Amino acid sequence: MLKLYFLLSYEFLKIGIFALGGGYAALPFLYYIQKQYNWFTVDELTNMIAVSNITPGPIGINMATYTGYTTAGIIGSILSTFAIVFAPFIFTITIIKIFNKFKSCSIINDIFLGLRPASCALLTSIGLQLFIQTVSNSENLSFSSMHFDYRAIILFLILIVPFSFIKKNPLLVIIAGAIGGIILKSF
Amino acid sequence: MKVKLFDIFKIFFIIGIQLLGGGYVIVPLLQKYIVEERKWLTEEELVDYFAMSQCIPGIIAGNIAIFSGYKARKFLGSIMAILGIVTPSFICIILLANLLTSVVSNPIVHNAFWGIRISVIILILVTIKDIWKKSVNSKFTYFMYFFILISLIILPVSPTVIIIVSALLAILHSKLEGRKDA
Repeated sequence: MLKLYFLLSYEFLKIGIFALGGGYAALPFLYYIQKQYNWFTVDELTNMIAVSNITPGPIGINMATYTGYTTAGIIGSILSTFAIVFAPFIFTITIIKIFNKFKSCSIINDIFLGLRPASCALLTSIGLQLFIQTVSNSENLSFSSMHFDYRAIILFLILIVPFSFIKKNPLLVIIAGAIGGIILKSF
Repeated sequence: MKVKLFDIFKIFFIIGIQLLGGGYVIVPLLQKYIVEERKWLTEEELVDYFAMSQCIPGIIAGNIAIFSGYKARKFLGSIMAILGIVTPSFICIILLANLLTSVVSNPIVHNAFWGIRISVIILILVTIKDIWKKSVNSKFTYFMYFFILISLIILPVSPTVIIIVSALLAILHSKLEGRKDA
């Protein structure tokens, strides 16, 4: 059991260090763990990913908690969650320390002048990608598997008008989207 | 005035509960709870943290939480922030994991999450609209925005590369500007 705890922490520590670019970057690592250790089946893993998607919280954290729980119970889930945030925590604190030390340098301000529009562009491309995926009803952008889903555009137009004017409330937008999805897709 | 540690935990716990449909939703949530309501961060800081979180390994939402917690109350603040973000998902998974396995295949849940994807797109759009004025407001920043957006559409580049390239371009730009002034 101790060995299992150790391996679990080790694998999730690795994911924390190497999974660059958000929760989905952890997926290949999880498939690797599945193959390497057989702690769970591929079907179970698919299920865990699906559940992580519908549970509140960052998807990467959800996957870590769930995989740890399935593999080694509550202690396993605590270890894997702790392990996956450990390295990024150290990295982030280090970056903040360095950043604060050089904050007064004009070069840092110059750099952020370039990073802010880059952030905007990144967000735009994420939004665009999600939009295309939802409208074309496909995960990958191959035209052969595309099914145009006009309902996505209808829901988009219904939601965009009120929510770009009234005081924004993210939870309200999420709830409205969920209800809209159920109504439009079920009938 | 010092921000209370428990307050940091509480706010990130509340944000964690509302984090549905992927980590990017944390940006509008932070904007509402921390920039507008509590003023622990400025809008520029939020954008900067988002940019830096992209190039630090780990879960982006977690990294932004650590940055924001640190800004509010240094080291302990960042620990409170990450604990707050992690706890709701932890509780949900432990308590509901078995139940959720059957829920996932339910078509109604499926449709609800299809709709939530549209919500996430809207939230992203509204966020861009809010941070736009302070981020894209000069010839150089307009150039950066479109240059990066187009490269992201054409090439499958990782965000890390994008952030590093933009930092280099920004340094180059300031060097050229400096020479012009001199």
